[in-house]
Amino acid sequence: MENLEALLHGFAIALSAQHLVLMVVGVLLGILVGVLPGLGAPNGVSLLLPLTFGMQPVSAIILLSSMYWGALFGGSVTSILFNIPGEPSSVATTFDGYPMAREGRPTTALATAFGSAAFGALVGVILITFLASWVAQVALAFGPAEYFAVYFLAFASFVGMGGAAPMKTVVALAIGFAIAAIGIDTVSGSVRLTMGVDELVKGVSFVVAVMGLFGIGELLIAVEEEIHARAVSSKIDWLEVFRAVARLPKHATALLRSAAIGCWMGITPGGPTAASFMSYGIAKRFSRRGQRFGSGEVEGIIAPETADHAAGTSALLPMLSLGIPGSATAAVMMGGLMIWGLNPGPMLFVDQKDFVWGLIASMYVGNIVAVALVLLTVPVFAALMRIPFVIIAPLIVIICAVGAYSVSNSYLDIVLMLGFGVVGYLFKKLSYPLAPLVLAIVIGDKAEDAFRQSMLMSKGSLEIFFDNRLVTSLVIVGIALLLLPLLLQVLRLLRGGAEARHEKVRVI
Amino acid sequence: MISRRVLELLTALLTGSFGLAVIISSLDNGIGWGEAGVDPGTFPFLTGVIILAGSLYNLARGWLAAGIAVSRADLRRIAGLFVPAAIFVGAVPLAGMYVASAGYIFGVLALAKHQSLARSLIIAVATPVALYIVFERMFQVSLPHGELAAALGY
Repeated sequence: MENLEALLHGFAIALSAQHLVLMVVGVLLGILVGVLPGLGAPNGVSLLLPLTFGMQPVSAIILLSSMYWGALFGGSVTSILFNIPGEPSSVATTFDGYPMAREGRPTTALATAFGSAAFGALVGVILITFLASWVAQVALAFGPAEYFAVYFLAFASFVGMGGAAPMKTVVALAIGFAIAAIGIDTVSGSVRLTMGVDELVKGVSFVVAVMGLFGIGELLIAVEEEIHARAVSSKIDWLEVFRAVARLPKHATALLRSAAIGCWMGITPGGPTAASFMSYGIAKRFSRRGQRFGSGEVEGIIAPETADHAAGTSALLPMLSLGIPGSATAAVMMGGLMIWGLNPGPMLFVDQKDFVWGLIASMYVGNIVAVALVLLTVPVFAALMRIPFVIIAPLIVIICAVGAYSVSNSYLDIVLMLGFGVVGYLFKKLSYPLAPLVLAIVIGDKAEDAFRQSMLMSKGSLEIFFDNRLVTSLVIVGIALLLLPLLLQVLRLLRGGAEARHEKVRVI
Repeated sequence: MISRRVLELLTALLTGSFGLAVIISSLDNGIGWGEAGVDPGTFPFLTGVIILAGSLYNLARGWLAAGIAVSRADLRRIAGLFVPAAIFVGAVPLAGMYVASAGYIFGVLALAKHQSLARSLIIAVATPVALYIVFERMFQVSLPHGELAAALGY
């Protein structure tokens, strides 16, 4: 009950006029970056970051999280109307969304997508409302060793369940850690890994990495695939919107299953992209009409959309209560939290009640605002897609350059950004996952500090990680997750891998 | 034309050499257990070792990759985006963000993509103006003005 009281207090904060305006602005900007290929939620949120420094943290996080919701919705619009996923996490929506729209039912496809997305988000927020403060309470008892174990678990679950080739995930993670270590060491004060470049003493900001990896990298992929906007009609038939939403309860099983997959992947942190693919795959296997998936099936839209949004929302749970973001965008937001002077983690629930509950309440309101706005603005943003890509592409390059520069007014950051762009392209092309890389850049320092503090406590003995039941089980689950891909491979070999050899690795 | 194998090997070499650089650089900070706890170089050293080992594994796996990753036409389109972007970034210290972005947009639209002159000019002028209003005026973030502007006394 305490939670409900706090939530009501949060609503009082979230429903102020100023915050409602911020939500509308955030959602609209979010839909914009969601619609534009090459700009995604992580980029959009990092671009807005420098502009939030003068704001109250609650207002800032409401703006940024609304942008995230907007981007999640915007990505589906282009997936359905143009067969171009505006966001990586809405790729799976194109499988059935576009065929349905092409058959002359764009409104049905859009309304089904938004309806199930809203449901997924709702489940995610409810989960946060009831679980986050409880998790935080448990986490308050954590020492450095427990913290390191949780970080370890988070990274291990990327390797074990991320879906990309495990060794590529490991390399991406470790590169992120190394990048996080560049600059002044917070513990000893010594300068590390600058490799002779003095300007690197300030470190490499995650914003610079995100601009390059997701911005330039995705742009390069987009030109390579030579996208053509072949639009279907984007007129909205309002009656059909309500009819499509009213039909959703018939697919209750699919909705609930997809929401559960989404929440699990959001918390663990598999992220929205992996969640939507996984949910689509499972829906295809279990649906009675699985054979017809890919030709405009309703459940083929429900499954990825619900999971995508459930994952996107619940990715904020570990960020708030443990200080471990569940997705790349959540990682960027967490970077923002640290810049605003907040310490993400369980202490937020003690020291910053207004912030936490204001944010949670705003997630309910923000998603409603997002559904309404995205339906109203579909024609506008669909028109935007008719601007030739040759014009949009250089504009995005400039936006990314300005975004990278404005982090710390350094020209070197623009050059680094371009370098990250090449890395982003190579990684995407070869299915190295990008989310763990960004995650490691953001929380690498914290993980290292936790490790070093625990080593100080134990005078250099690793036994501290097996000191009590909690930390031991965390570490053991982490190790099990690391070994999971290996185990699966052995099993596959034992079963005789004729079919396995043809199985493609799922791409994040 | 770039085969998948070449691309895999190239990327593994890139990550591997980064790992090696991290290892060498972290040795300067000292690794192991010192008087003040874990030496500052230890953690980077370990990540460097993991990067290097993982890259070697990926290098070996990459050798087995088959097929074409980037066709000649793909490569031309990628270069068409990346080369002007790199020139733009290179021009920023000299020309400043505003002049460089105007020139970049005009160059790409009018010269490379054969858009109409009027349209290219309008977008080329509107972009830096919008940047100026949003960043310099509204949010007081100063973008690089460049040596050119400094020489002219701005």
